[in-house]
Amino acid sequence: MPSDQTKTGATGSNSDIVLRLGTISKSFGRVAALSDVSVAFHAGEVHAVLGENGAGKSTLMNIIKGVFKPTRGQIEVMGKPIAAMTPEISASLGIAIAFQHPAVLSDLSVLENLRVALPDALFEGTSAQSVGRALLDGVGLHVPLEARADTLSVAQLALLEIAKALAIKPRVLILDEPTASLDQDATDMLFARIRDLVAAGTAVIYITHRMAEVRQIAQRVTVLRDGRKRGEALVRDVSDQDLLGMIVGRALGSTFPPKADETGREINLSVRHLSGPQFKDISFDVARGQILGVAGVAGNGQSELMRALAGLLPWQGEVELTGSVLTSQEILHKAAFMPSDRQAEGLASGLTIRENASLAALSGFARFGFVNRKRELEEVAATFQALAVKAPGIEAATASLSGGNQQKVVMARALLSQPGLIVADEPTQGVDVGARAEIYRILRDVSSKGTPVIVNSSDAAELEGLCDSVIVLSRGKVVATLTGADVTEAKIVAAAVSAGSHAEVRQDQVAAQRSGWRHFVQTDNAPVIPLAVVIVLLGLYGFSQNTHFLSAYNVANMLMLATALGFIAMGQNIALLLGGIDLSVGPLAGFMVVVASFFINDGQSGLMILAGFALMLAAGVGVGLINGVLIRFANFTPIAATLAMYIGLQGCSFLLRNGPDGYINSEVVAWITWEFGAIPVAFIVLVAVALGGEYLLRQRRLGWQLRAVGSNEESARRIGVHIDRMYILGYLGSALFTAMGAVMLMAQIGVGDPQQGVNYTLSSITAVVLGGTSLKGGRGTFIGTVMGAILLMEVLNAVAFLGLSQTWQYVFQGALILIAAVVYSTLRNRAAANP
Amino acid sequence: MTPRQPASIRQEGKVFPIAFAKGFITIVAATLILVVLCLVFAPSSVSSGALAGSLPFASVLAIVGLGQMLVVQQGGFDLSVAGGVSLSVVLVTHYPAGDDAQLLPAILIALGCALLIGVCNSLLVGYMRLNAIVATIGVNALIYGGVFAVSGGVPRITTDLLATIAGGSLFGIGNAVVFAAVALGVVALIMKKTVMGRRFEAVGASPALAATIGLPVRRYQMLAYVFAQLLYCLAGILIAGLTTQPTAFQGDPLLLPSVAVVVLGGTSLLGGRGFPVSTVIAALFLNQLSQFSYAVGVPYSAQTIIQALALGFGIGIHSIRLPNKNKKLSTHSNLEETNETYVS
Repeated sequence: MPSDQTKTGATGSNSDIVLRLGTISKSFGRVAALSDVSVAFHAGEVHAVLGENGAGKSTLMNIIKGVFKPTRGQIEVMGKPIAAMTPEISASLGIAIAFQHPAVLSDLSVLENLRVALPDALFEGTSAQSVGRALLDGVGLHVPLEARADTLSVAQLALLEIAKALAIKPRVLILDEPTASLDQDATDMLFARIRDLVAAGTAVIYITHRMAEVRQIAQRVTVLRDGRKRGEALVRDVSDQDLLGMIVGRALGSTFPPKADETGREINLSVRHLSGPQFKDISFDVARGQILGVAGVAGNGQSELMRALAGLLPWQGEVELTGSVLTSQEILHKAAFMPSDRQAEGLASGLTIRENASLAALSGFARFGFVNRKRELEEVAATFQALAVKAPGIEAATASLSGGNQQKVVMARALLSQPGLIVADEPTQGVDVGARAEIYRILRDVSSKGTPVIVNSSDAAELEGLCDSVIVLSRGKVVATLTGADVTEAKIVAAAVSAGSHAEVRQDQVAAQRSGWRHFVQTDNAPVIPLAVVIVLLGLYGFSQNTHFLSAYNVANMLMLATALGFIAMGQNIALLLGGIDLSVGPLAGFMVVVASFFINDGQSGLMILAGFALMLAAGVGVGLINGVLIRFANFTPIAATLAMYIGLQGCSFLLRNGPDGYINSEVVAWITWEFGAIPVAFIVLVAVALGGEYLLRQRRLGWQLRAVGSNEESARRIGVHIDRMYILGYLGSALFTAMGAVMLMAQIGVGDPQQGVNYTLSSITAVVLGGTSLKGGRGTFIGTVMGAILLMEVLNAVAFLGLSQTWQYVFQGALILIAAVVYSTLRNRAAANP
Repeated sequence: MTPRQPASIRQEGKVFPIAFAKGFITIVAATLILVVLCLVFAPSSVSSGALAGSLPFASVLAIVGLGQMLVVQQGGFDLSVAGGVSLSVVLVTHYPAGDDAQLLPAILIALGCALLIGVCNSLLVGYMRLNAIVATIGVNALIYGGVFAVSGGVPRITTDLLATIAGGSLFGIGNAVVFAAVALGVVALIMKKTVMGRRFEAVGASPALAATIGLPVRRYQMLAYVFAQLLYCLAGILIAGLTTQPTAFQGDPLLLPSVAVVVLGGTSLLGGRGFPVSTVIAALFLNQLSQFSYAVGVPYSAQTIIQALALGFGIGIHSIRLPNKNKKLSTHSNLEETNETYVS
């Protein structure tokens, strides 16, 4: 490290303070995550923030970035106090963050990921490609700009995230565990970049668990513990020993049951060379009556190891439980797993606590497949009593229980299933102090009765109190096995934070140069080619059977029908790209035609006719807004909101007209159906609109944001997309495209008929699926959608033309959508399986 | 563990399933209010004659709703309701062609087809991993292919026997009502009393939890589509008996109401616990709502709007209580700190 930088940082006066936090406090409910943290960050300095899991580091960063609002305290940037920090303000002040879990959208390309997250100004002047290339080169990321982000490895995603943060030449750069997934080369490169930035005057806030990295890169270090600032020092003035002293020493406040005595007990669980996702070559033994702890910095393979031991993840190696060697499937039924995320995996909130507790033991209460209610009640109640579960009743909802009692319900389920092994992942997370002691007692009880217990905890002090032996993991490997008197918080933390090894080089780099063709196959537009082939082949087949099939008249007829469906399907496509669905498009189109049938008649003045069109548009705006608002602000699911709209609109159509009436102005119809040769002009408009939509989708911020929301709402929010606004815009767009479809429909049926239009909901979904849009959101194309509409209409027309019965019309439609869906989903799964 | 007297817990609170009460109370209250309104403003709509006419159709909706509920509670969605019902209608009318002796084989064929369709749906959704909406749209179209292959689109008069079975009455209660009650009884019994049913409910309530205790989640989800088709088939047979000359599209008008009653019954469209009793009551509610509107002279169109409003209102009540599971982060549990969830 050049010595002058160190000097700048070390002698930094108040004048070069870029960011100052004053007595920041933040609580989540009753839990205080941060209390009175004051810290100043200097320009031209790397300031490391060190602390154990849950010390408050990430909360602090989120407060700086404006993601969380502090409960108390001030933030000053360049000496100016900021009243309420938001992600937008922090970005405008030049505060950039690289999240530990990259906010990268897997359905967008690398370049699109850069462009959607970064300001347009960055790409002005030269070509976007060259800017993107330069950004990637800056972090040594050698992947094609067109590659879809889901083909990148974890390390490459981390580099992409860092590239985004560096791109805006930040004044303050926050790096949250940036090296967690990087190998040695990438880490060296990153450190070189950091030194360059610091030399140029950027303040870098570097969050880490690893002391070695602090020594390598940082000038100043702040240690957090239990949400409080434990100390701040210049790195060169402080010893590792002192730093460790600041990190450990949490006050626990709960008591632990006595440990097992160590004398010559038989081993009842033996694990040898266990490897799986995120962990490698793990071996340990658990003796009868002992509890084994798993420790390490969060995200180093502990949770994967726990899931593997519970039979929930695949593994290789050998597991021997009380003398018998188990397979993964056997261990799934032997082990009782207590997951760390109680809300997601530990409890079913729809079931009562009795149902939750007895779930794994039902067959034990049953005879001939029928559950004996009395036995179930007795055993569950007895277990609840043994565990001292405090609940309003045995049929209480899980939500009415405290965290500790919820965890006891999870334990009751584990115990009732009479397991051969208990795997407890963070058993005291979100549990109050009193209940913790009880949970420790129960685990110790179970263990002393002979069931092996394995506990993963990010709290080293808890492991010290509870466990007879502890394995410490780093980057998926055991770096220390502590037993007996060595099981202390200090030794556990020391082993975890001193481990310096880097992620192995498993950079399954996307081949740097792929041909354009390979890229095209990956893109959303790939289905266009097979669709075109099928359309042409079907056309030729029809022609061979009956030459009139490709006559100008019939082609124009097909295209006219496809135009109506095409517009409506494009609307549907927007909803699906968002990750939603719009069931109301069909009845909306029908309703608009009914509305039009009161104004756009023969003999009406031009003004009335214009009013008719305006009302169709207004109906679209209204319906789109209501759909969007219901979904985003009234918490309706997209299906529920648009289903209610579907029924309502159908009613409105019937309210206006009882049966077909109100003939559409023939002159207007003639204009709409005007043909240019065999091609209706409306169809040309459709194609132009589709191409325009495609351009927006691929090349403009609006399109990237739309796909970002559908791809991953959470990541989209983090890169600053307004989710609510996108949803409302999206459903507006859907309704407006439907209005264009309704104009075509009006010309086709020529009369206001309340029964028409409804079928377009399902046809539009069919067309969109044929076009290759994924119902999962984020992926899709307007061109494919239009081709899907053409193919669908061609098939229906061919059935009629070839004199086949109505049976075939349905069979072809059904077969078409199923084949398309199966083919696309198989291809996608294959692409996801081997990127 | 020795069973002890469960002293502390059972006496502290009443033994009342709170989860059950949620959707149940709402829909029961709504139905009671509606009945009172009927008694006051449109007594003709609750006369025994009117009820005898309308309850069979409410029963059909209830049965179809139960089927849809099984699928929805597993996080699915079944658009093949329409086809399933229509196919069984045409099978039991066209095959016997008025001959009572042919009725039983026709019903068996219909049940066989329902099984086949259910398996087809479940394989596409559970095994091929297709989106439920896409898969059931496709299958529905294929079923309609079958409907036209059987019927050619021409209605045929139902057999006398079937008309008696579906349209007759037992101790003054319409047979269709009895069928619906039996269907409800069977579904509720399986769900509450059997190991399979309890596990089925749990898989719906939390697939993630079910996976951690080693339940074959996908298989239970697939099962829902099969049972649903059997119920649609039953509904179709009843319609065939209740209608003298049923058309080929008899199932179409049931599609949306089937979803509506499930939602009004309190089952979340995102999956979760299913509420069979509430679903059936919701069917009665929707049916009576139409009767009421009809009796007070509201035109058909406005009835539909009232239904949409009732549906929107029902969803509104339930969605306020339910957290939006859509917004939940992927279960990447090794976030660095427990509070690293981003507020919206």
